[in-house]
Amino acid sequence: MTNTLILALGNPLRGDDGVGAAVLQALQDKPLPDVTLIDGGTAGLETVLLLEGRDCAIIIDAAEMGEAPGTWRRFSPDQVRLEARDMHLRGTMHYAGLSEALALGEAMNMLPPQIFIFGIQPEEIGWEIGLSEAVTSAVPAVCAAIEETLRLQLEM
Amino acid sequence: MTTVKVDVHHLTRVEGHGNIVVDVQNGELKQCELQIVETPRFFEAMLRGRPYDESSHITSRICGICAVGHATASLRATERALAITPSPQTVMLRKLNFHGEILDSHILHAYMLIAPDFLGVGSVIPLAKSAPDVVLRALRMKKVAGDLCKAICGRHTHPIAMTVGGFTAFPKLAELREIRERLIAMRPDYEATVELFSTLKFPAFERDTEYIALHKDDEYCFIDGVIASTDGGTWDISEYRQVTNEQIVPHSSAKHTKNQRQSYMVGALARFNVNYNQLHPKAKDAAAALGLQPITVNPYMNTAAQVVEIVHCIEDAIGIIDQLLVRGIKPEPPAPPTRMSGTGAGAADVPRGTLFHEYTIEDGKVVGANCIIPTGQNLANIEADMRGLVPTILDRSQQDITLALEMLVRAYDPCISCSTHLLDVKFE
Repeated sequence: MTNTLILALGNPLRGDDGVGAAVLQALQDKPLPDVTLIDGGTAGLETVLLLEGRDCAIIIDAAEMGEAPGTWRRFSPDQVRLEARDMHLRGTMHYAGLSEALALGEAMNMLPPQIFIFGIQPEEIGWEIGLSEAVTSAVPAVCAAIEETLRLQLEM
Repeated sequence: MTTVKVDVHHLTRVEGHGNIVVDVQNGELKQCELQIVETPRFFEAMLRGRPYDESSHITSRICGICAVGHATASLRATERALAITPSPQTVMLRKLNFHGEILDSHILHAYMLIAPDFLGVGSVIPLAKSAPDVVLRALRMKKVAGDLCKAICGRHTHPIAMTVGGFTAFPKLAELREIRERLIAMRPDYEATVELFSTLKFPAFERDTEYIALHKDDEYCFIDGVIASTDGGTWDISEYRQVTNEQIVPHSSAKHTKNQRQSYMVGALARFNVNYNQLHPKAKDAAAALGLQPITVNPYMNTAAQVVEIVHCIEDAIGIIDQLLVRGIKPEPPAPPTRMSGTGAGAADVPRGTLFHEYTIEDGKVVGANCIIPTGQNLANIEADMRGLVPTILDRSQQDITLALEMLVRAYDPCISCSTHLLDVKFE
């Protein structure tokens, strides 16, 4: 049995940035193997501490990927470039988000051997509670993909 | 004559973005501003019409670093509005929980945002390579702080067990015993922290100002108490608007505040200056080692005051756990409202300073809400510091002036806006 973490990141007060929490909520109703589910909210560098000591981490977060809203992709940190984005006009990002936490974890040699990030393209991230229609409709598919990822993990 | 133009966009290493704009023409300071993005203007809109017991859960999501702080101020506002008196056990658990968040935030700020400036590396990432023992120590301390919060409220970024009138879940005594042992084991780490920060050479800039913090006579206050000033005077928390006097300024979308002078400071240094007498003896020792004494008027020393508070919160947390172990923890239902309509203000001295929430509730639903965050209160004071500092450093290079200003702003540990957590991904 692997020591797997499913970590949702994002702020449910900021529209589609709450997609991580929504996916986590949906996963809670499903029969999952022995995994730890954490709603990390807007956790910053402490994400390193949540990841430390795990064999596998599945991270769910809204991601600006230049895709149509609701589009989701699964990737590992080494497949992509994660960048701090200029969100100046819409509010801000925390300085230390997931990309900084992963860089710190990498430098400290503290990351799980396997990390899967499920990024979902948001439509709206203003100050509003609730997901857009496009992102809401992506939630079941992301859940199914996470379940499939877990199943493959168990077979390994 | 000197002409300097500093225009720092997106000041890095603060929680959010800010722009510093300084314009010196022929030796004369023309412009000196910290331009920032937004305090929670959405605040009332998010709460209006919602049941009173949802406010703390919603507002705890405003900030991933001060989630417990927002929840605490929110609960106290609701409890005052509905005349709810939390039990002594609730008060103790909240204090303990709060210490966890202060520790978490101060360790993050001192080690990961400030230390890189003084150790000559750009950020904590290269620091992890050049001084891994320092970063490991910070992470080790941060983990204990996070686990302390987790034992009491769920997780500190999402404190679900905190509710109006009390808690919905309770730590087991065995958990508290374990946390206590780990807090005691943290002593060598806090000693090393005091030693490290006492070797850093904080810039020698002094500017006298008014310092504001919550105050109690019998404890180093983080929750409730009265509003107190180093210029003299105390105010009931319900009178907070008389202290904050919010006003609109042209260059910033956030309001500025002032009390008895043109500006005032809140945060660790303000608490230290107002409440030095109530510090734990070991925290006073740490202050002496760091060269801090009340009233210290060097804003760069806010970080040193945070280190003092790290020592205080560890020692005081051990003391609170000792009391809880003696009296035991009983699962108790939250104290109920004694009325369903009313107005109340709550305050908590969160890592960055005094935070106010105020709610008006009618028939159990929120109909009005106000929030004043610490960074909003510090903005006018930061600008006054910049106006004082710039003329004294005009002989330096533009690069050095910029760094001095960035470090000044970072010393305040500003939280300039509320966060999303969006990843920006490029597929290659």
